[in-house]
Amino acid sequence: MTERNQFLRLLLLVARRDYLRTVRRRGFLLATLLLPASMAVLFIISSAVSMNAATAEPGQILLVNESTVALQPDPALAPDVSLLSRSDAEARLADGSAVAYFLVPSTWPSQPRVTIIASEQATTGRSIDALTRQQAEQSEVELLLRVSLLRDAGLPDSTLGQLLTPIDFSAVTTTGEPVTEAALAANFIVPYVFTLIFVLSIFITSGYLLQSVTEEKENRVVEIVLSSIPALPLMAGKILGLGAAGLTQVAIWLGTAVLALPLINQQLQLHVTLEPATIVLAVAVFCLGYLAYGAIFAALGALAAGQREAQQYSSFFGFFAVIPLVMTPVFLSDPNSIIVWALALVPLTAPAAVLEVLSAGSPPWLMIGVSLVIQVLFVGVATVAAGRIFRATVLLYGTRPNLRRIVAAVTARG
Amino acid sequence: MSIGDAPLPVAVNQVWKQFGSTDVVADLSFDLQAGEILGFLGPNGAGKTTTMRMLLDIIRPDRGEITVFGGPPGVRHQSRTGYLPEDRGLYRDVPIIETLTYFGALRGLSTHDAHQRAQELLGEVGLEDALTKKAGELSRGMHQKAQLIATIINEPDLLIVDEPFQGLDPVNATMLKNLLVAQRERGAAVVMSTHDMEDAQVLCDRILLIDKGRRVLYGTVDDVRRAFSDGAVEVVGRDLPLDVEKLPSASHATSYDGSVRYLLADGSSAQDLFRELGDSSAQVERFAVEAPNLAEIFVRAVAGDARAERVA
Repeated sequence: MTERNQFLRLLLLVARRDYLRTVRRRGFLLATLLLPASMAVLFIISSAVSMNAATAEPGQILLVNESTVALQPDPALAPDVSLLSRSDAEARLADGSAVAYFLVPSTWPSQPRVTIIASEQATTGRSIDALTRQQAEQSEVELLLRVSLLRDAGLPDSTLGQLLTPIDFSAVTTTGEPVTEAALAANFIVPYVFTLIFVLSIFITSGYLLQSVTEEKENRVVEIVLSSIPALPLMAGKILGLGAAGLTQVAIWLGTAVLALPLINQQLQLHVTLEPATIVLAVAVFCLGYLAYGAIFAALGALAAGQREAQQYSSFFGFFAVIPLVMTPVFLSDPNSIIVWALALVPLTAPAAVLEVLSAGSPPWLMIGVSLVIQVLFVGVATVAAGRIFRATVLLYGTRPNLRRIVAAVTARG
Repeated sequence: MSIGDAPLPVAVNQVWKQFGSTDVVADLSFDLQAGEILGFLGPNGAGKTTTMRMLLDIIRPDRGEITVFGGPPGVRHQSRTGYLPEDRGLYRDVPIIETLTYFGALRGLSTHDAHQRAQELLGEVGLEDALTKKAGELSRGMHQKAQLIATIINEPDLLIVDEPFQGLDPVNATMLKNLLVAQRERGAAVVMSTHDMEDAQVLCDRILLIDKGRRVLYGTVDDVRRAFSDGAVEVVGRDLPLDVEKLPSASHATSYDGSVRYLLADGSSAQDLFRELGDSSAQVERFAVEAPNLAEIFVRAVAGDARAERVA
């Protein structure tokens, strides 16, 4: 067997072992299945809420008028309102046939205040449904009161009708596609969630790498392994195996999203789509992001004296990764702004920045192209530097190499 | 360098290694024959571990040449070498059989063969019931046995063991000693670093003592002891002085049941010491020149005794 084949065999051996070990972990399975499970739960909840919302219409509304303004029942405007005396209303509360009534006091309309008198039963254990119904009832009472005031002022019924007819606003795209409120919200939420998922998976996967290196160092296994396989193929094997584990996770998440999107679209009247090109680019960005952060994390694992210290270092780098997420409004308002360009070109913020512009619609392709080139170059430099740091420091147990030694390791030849 | 057609398992020629501005290994040369145990001795920080890591290509020398089985050290020899580092362990949350199979596969065995061999060896050391136990669940003794199995799972031709008996309980230490001897008997070459001179004296065919990265002593145990044969004197008597300030010929004195063992100072002879004792108030009943043990030689060689040059 040639030396190259031997390297390859060992590299694949390490990759296979790290892959299998990671995907069999309880934590991995939980994290991987958590997203599909939470999407299913959200879907069920939203379905239930929307079904309930459809039934949350006002019941019979009891209205007691003690003001000087004459209130007339109006089956067209306020079909559920019944006018009655205060004693009758109290009697209805007492016998349980009603749980609340509206009291228009003598001070109305000089003081625009209406009181809802509710029984004890109405104030305990109120459901969302009850609150929604109360809002609908309030709207109906308010309408009746305003109409009564306007009639009292002598406004003709024709003008009154025009005044009270609700204006139907509708938003459409330039192609005539209707834009719902949910769709407007989705414009903000979808890029954010899409980016969050990928950034999360970059970090989770890089975290596995960090854990793997620090574990072997802490368990004093790394020297035995290094006596069989040189440092660079060892690191490459780990990056490959754990990257494959990360891709498995992303594939499951993406598969879930692709399957769930039609249902969500139907439920929320959205038109969110995941274009195949967007998915391919997102996976490419994931790979580059993982390789960049993975190389950094492998070096951190070798440098740190223990797992806790390594995690502290890694959280510092996590700060860079989430900057684009914090600045989502900037991405939505102007994806070609200087800030977005800067974030897309700095290697540590580039993965999240590119994912945001990709998912925000009408992506600036030049920016994405330049960013990908920079990320590829950065991955190359980071991998070589990390490999050298890994080789020079992974066998330093319990001590932290100084900056001079790290620089010497990075700039060393061969 | 080779004997007949077979290349030497290890040949080290004028090797240097520097960390920062410190020469950790300086102009070091030695070789290792098949079927011998070379005791690698030296105080802490002498450069033993660094040298061993260079033999395994974990780190590379700055200058000089190392050959392993006639070629540069590295991955091509991993199926013929076994390594027990000073800092050693096992994956804590992985079944022991999986860890050993992985180590065997890294050493060139197929996964199937590595699994089978690990199973056999675990059975041989009485751990057949611990196959699926995780390292974190094993007792310290079981842990140590598993580490030893990891070292020899591929029946290496070159075994490099760094402080192998450190931290071992007596049962496992004896088991490892027997194992090292068995490896030698089947023709393997063994490099063993140790601080225990008694072990080195009993187990090693040759010893290499280094200090500050430089070779101080190198030869068979008998040659080394012979070079220091006039180095120690056993004296029985009364009022024997223990303060070596009063005896210029002695560098060190240790009292045992009624006798005192003197190490002779560099350039002094047993006659000089005999004369000085005669001049003192001591009453000498028995005076015997003895070869010092390896521990004494170690102390003296590191202190710069000129006798070391005879076997350097």
